[in-house]
Parts: sequence; structure tokens; C-alpha cells
Amino acid sequence: MTELVSQALWSGILTGSSYALIALGLALIFGTMNVINLAHGELVLLAAYIAYTCESAFGFNPLFAIPAAIVIVCVATTLTYFLVNQIRKDRELNSLLLTYGIGVMLTNGMLLLWKADIRSTKSAWLQDAVVFGPFFSMRSEILFFVISLALIAGLWWWLTRTWAGRAVRAVASNRDAAKLMGIDPHRVELVSFLVAGLLAAFAGAAIFSVGVIQPGLGISLTVKAFIITVLAGMGSVPGVLVGALLLGLTESLTTTFFSSALQELAGMVLFLFVLFVLPNGLFGTRWRRAH
Amino acid sequence: MNKHLKSRMTMLVLVGWMLSTAGSAMAEEFVVGVEVPLSGSLARVGTGMSEGITVAAEVFNRKNTKHKIKLITVDDESSPAKAVAAVEKLASQGAIAIDGGYGSNNIGPASDAANKAGLVYVTSGGVDEALTQRGLKTFFRINNTAGYSKAMLGLLADMGVKSASIVYLTKEATADLAKDIEKALAAKGVKVTMHAFDPAITDFKPIINKIKLQDKPDVIVMSGYENDYVGVLRAAKVLKPDVKAIVGAWSLATSKMQDDFPDLMPNVYGTALLPFPAEFTTPDGKDFAEAYKKLYGKEPDYLGQFGYVQSQLLFDAIVRAFDAGTLKSGGIAAELRKTNKDTLIGRVQFDDKGDNLNFSHRMGQHQAKQIAIVWPKEYANGKMNFPGVPW
Repeated sequence: MTELVSQALWSGILTGSSYALIALGLALIFGTMNVINLAHGELVLLAAYIAYTCESAFGFNPLFAIPAAIVIVCVATTLTYFLVNQIRKDRELNSLLLTYGIGVMLTNGMLLLWKADIRSTKSAWLQDAVVFGPFFSMRSEILFFVISLALIAGLWWWLTRTWAGRAVRAVASNRDAAKLMGIDPHRVELVSFLVAGLLAAFAGAAIFSVGVIQPGLGISLTVKAFIITVLAGMGSVPGVLVGALLLGLTESLTTTFFSSALQELAGMVLFLFVLFVLPNGLFGTRWRRAH
Repeated sequence: MNKHLKSRMTMLVLVGWMLSTAGSAMAEEFVVGVEVPLSGSLARVGTGMSEGITVAAEVFNRKNTKHKIKLITVDDESSPAKAVAAVEKLASQGAIAIDGGYGSNNIGPASDAANKAGLVYVTSGGVDEALTQRGLKTFFRINNTAGYSKAMLGLLADMGVKSASIVYLTKEATADLAKDIEKALAAKGVKVTMHAFDPAITDFKPIINKIKLQDKPDVIVMSGYENDYVGVLRAAKVLKPDVKAIVGAWSLATSKMQDDFPDLMPNVYGTALLPFPAEFTTPDGKDFAEAYKKLYGKEPDYLGQFGYVQSQLLFDAIVRAFDAGTLKSGGIAAELRKTNKDTLIGRVQFDDKGDNLNFSHRMGQHQAKQIAIVWPKEYANGKMNFPGVPW
């Protein structure tokens, strides 16, 4: 039983960290602009397909595809930002429709370019088993677990310790007041989109290395990221990590002690329970004000 | 009326009569509607089936100087509502039958819509038992769950399996297949443990760990799709449960899986119609393979084969109905019901519910970058490596 539980906990932590990596970009844009980027999952998937192309066409390890993915995904996020920025009325609501449309276009573009076949890394090095006592995992899972933690720490440091990060938080907190302080909100929002693109590039390389991708996957990534973002509390970086780990652990323990068929249900129950007890999410506005 | 006019009128009547009765001898272009998912979650399988349908039309048109088949394809986007809309659109465009459909949840409403429009619906993309229990006289399919479970059970019996863990996706077709196998194995005294999983699952290690530590079975049986197989096999390769074999269903024993996941496939079993490299020995098989390679520049796969066979049977039935002058009075369904033909998937005969009476799959095993047919004996071209796992 101990072996079963320890592996379930370990699997939950690894899955949670990959969820966190996927959700970070969405949470950042949601936090700064109140825009739910429904194309976020597709942007992550685009990065995954770039990793696939680099591996299949040039023989690169997916890790070395990350710089190319960053460039392409950042171009895509910049275009998304400029389109969102064209919205003059009801930006929160209309951006939902716009980004959903962008997501559909990206999905179909990927379908045309890369066909509907499932893809995953062929790198044996990434797939090799890594065993620490009773904990079993693939090398790619450990690698992206570490990368995920490093990116979360880096993002948190950037948001709290740098001028640009503080400007992002200022715009998120009060756009008009930030303007009066000499901050250009458009530039700050563009930076947020670019950072979200960078995070999506890492997340894409992770899902291609750890799991299986196909063009229809984007929307489910967005949904998962959205759940974690709301669970975390709007725009909270530590909240994303805690929310994602909670979700990963809940799913893993549900699979181990009940059935995998119930894991989505368990995740939703957790989501509703947290929102019922803490309507602003785990690290929502009230928690942040208190700390 | 003078005599001259009378003879002219008689000639005209005669010509008119000759034209009306000579319909069966004239060339005709038949419009067949193809409703398949070319986008959405079923795009890959839909595209595979669509390729087979196109190859069937190509072979038909090349060989048949008298009649031609014209295909009109509509993407149902893997959605039941859009599948219905696609069928209605095809009916309005003059299609005389519907070919295609993937996923039982899409095929159900789409074939209902075809039935309402008085059109035959032929498919190989849905194995749900409920599809043939509706009493539709216009619905036909060439494969079914029974054919898959028969092959998997036959292989497991040859292995002498005493215990099995079945890992299955909670979708209709995959769950039905898993439950059929469970029932049959339990009836033979085999200890069976079931592990259902949700389509959203990304990490199979908790399930495989339960199998490793609690079930300790002889074999792991998988009923899912390609991405699920990859997840299960990767988790199994990490945790290395002490099993003698891993057996799956559709989409597993394919050259594509061998090419894309060479490290995961060794010794894994799956349903397969043909070995790889494919060996087409019949004239029909050679026609199919040649046209497929010419059109798509790759080796044919099982999806293409199924699409080809269902279309070939439909086109033959259309021609027979046309020749009998019953094309527009339910003749296609009547002719399909009379089908009794050896095809690339074996002999096809439909029962009164439109199900293929003779469908039985074969089992292949990935062996040294090839796929050997290992069950049943009459089709086998290799011996199974048993026990054998990918690690």
C-alpha cells in the first residue's frame, strides 16, 4: 500500500507541475488584462508541434527546439495581442469570442500543416525510466518538473522584483492609476503577452516530451489552464502552482483509490469546493491583500 | 391523319419506348455522398477512411467503362449535429447513398438522417451494438465489436491466460469491447480486473502501478485509441509490471505505430487485417494497393482498407440496382442485403439488421520492425513471441 500511495503522490506532483506550466501564461494575461485567452491551449500546442518538427525534420532533441518555439509562439501571441487591442467595447466579453476564433483557426492550421496523426517524442533519452526508491517516472517528467518550478520562481521574481513586473502588477491593479504614474499600459500588456508566449513555448515542449499531441488537444489544455487559473485566484503565480499541484494530486489519488474514470469529476468537485469556500480562489485578492 | 404522319408517330413512340427501357444499358454517373470527420477529434481516422473511399471510386471508375462514381465529400467535424447536417446537405445535392461516418455517436444520428431521406448509409466506423438494434433498413456496416473480441479472445485462449487486467477508455465502443472480453474471459474462469479511464487522462502510471502491485495479471489488455496505447505502454515501460504480454485492439498493430513509436511496440499485439510489409495476393488487393500508393504515396493502412471495402460493396449494389431499374425505389438496400462477396476483410454478408455476419478480425504482433499475423492459424504468417513485452 505504501508503494501505491507514494507513487500516486509522486505522479500527482509531476502531473500538477506540468499543469502549472500550461496554466501560467493564461493566468498572467488574465491577471493583467482581465482577458481570458481561449487560444492559449492552441499556442501551447503550436509550440509542441514546433518541437515535433525540429525533432522529426532536423533530429533535434525537443529541448533544443524551445528557442524556435519561443520566437514563433511570441509572434503568434503578439498578433493575438494586437487583435485583442482592437476591441473598443466590452473587451472582457468580446475577447472571449475573438480568442476562441483564433484558437479554432490555429487548430485547423495545425491540422492542415501537421495532419491529424498523433505525435510524441522519439527520444529514448527523454523516455528513459528514472527511479528513486519507490518513485518511478520518465526523465522528461523530472526535467520539466524542474523547469516548471524554475519558471514559476522566475516569473514570481520578475513580477515582484523588477520594474517591468511591478508595472504589470500596477496595470493589473488599476490601469488608470498606472497611466498617471507614467506607465504605458499597452506596452505592459504586450510584454505580458510575450511572457505568456515564452511560457507557452516551454509548456509545448513539455507536453510533446511527456505525452502525446494531436491537433484537437488545444481546447482541453485551455480548459485545464482555466480551471487552475480560477482555482488559484486571479493572476496569482503561487496560486497557480498550488492549484495545479492540488488538481494533479486529486486526479492521481482518485485513479489510485477509486477509478480513473472519476478523475475529471474529482477535479471538478475540488474546483467547486474551493470556489464555494474561497470564492476568490486559493490566493485571491483578499488573501493577497492580507499578505 | 395520313399514313405518313402515322408512321412518323409510331417511330417516335418506338424511339421513346426504347430510350425509356434502355436506361440500364446507358452510361450513368452516380453521385455518392461521403460524410466523414476530416477535422476535430476524429480527423485522423476519418481521413484514413476517406482515403479508402477515394481509392474505391478511383478503381471503380478505372475498371468500369459503363458507369462512373462521383464523390461529394462533406466534413462532419467529428460532431453529431454536423454529421446530420452533412447528410442532409448531401441528400439535397443529389447523393443516392451515404458512405462514411466515424464514431458511433456520430453515425447514429447521421444514419437516422439518411434513413429519413431514404438513403442507404454504409460504414465501418462504428461498432456500437445499438447501431444495428434500431431496425433501420437502410443501415449497413462491415465490422462490429463481436469480430474484434473474437480475435482478441482467440489469441488470449492460445496464450493460455489465467488472469488479465483490462484497461479501457470510457467511450461506448471501447467500453463495449472491454466488457465483452471481460464477460467471455470470466465465463472461462479467467480472473479479470477492469480499469476504466477517462479520455482526459495524461498519466497512466497510477493505473499501471495498481496492475503491477495489486492485480499481478498474466496479460494487460487495452481497449482504447492510439494516444491511450502510447500512454499505457510508456507507463508500463517505466513501471515494468511482471506480465507476459500486452494486447490491444484497433489502431495498434499498424506500420504507423511502428514508425512513430519504435521503442514502445516490440512484442505488442493488436488487431490487424494484414501483416506488414503488406502482402496483397488477390487481384482486388493488388488493385487497391496500387491505386492507394499512386494516390497517397504510402503503404495502405487498415482504415483505408475498411473504407475501400464498404465503398466497393456500395458501388456494386448501386450498379446492380440501376441495372434492375430499382435505383430509386429502395433497390440499393435490397442489393446490399444480397451481398455475398469475398473482400479484403474476408467474406461479407449482411443480416437483416445490416450487420456483417462473417466479420472476424485477425491478430498481429510487432516483431522486429514488422507486423506478423499470429491469429488465426489459417491467416498466420508468423509465430507469436510469447511471453514478450516491449522492455
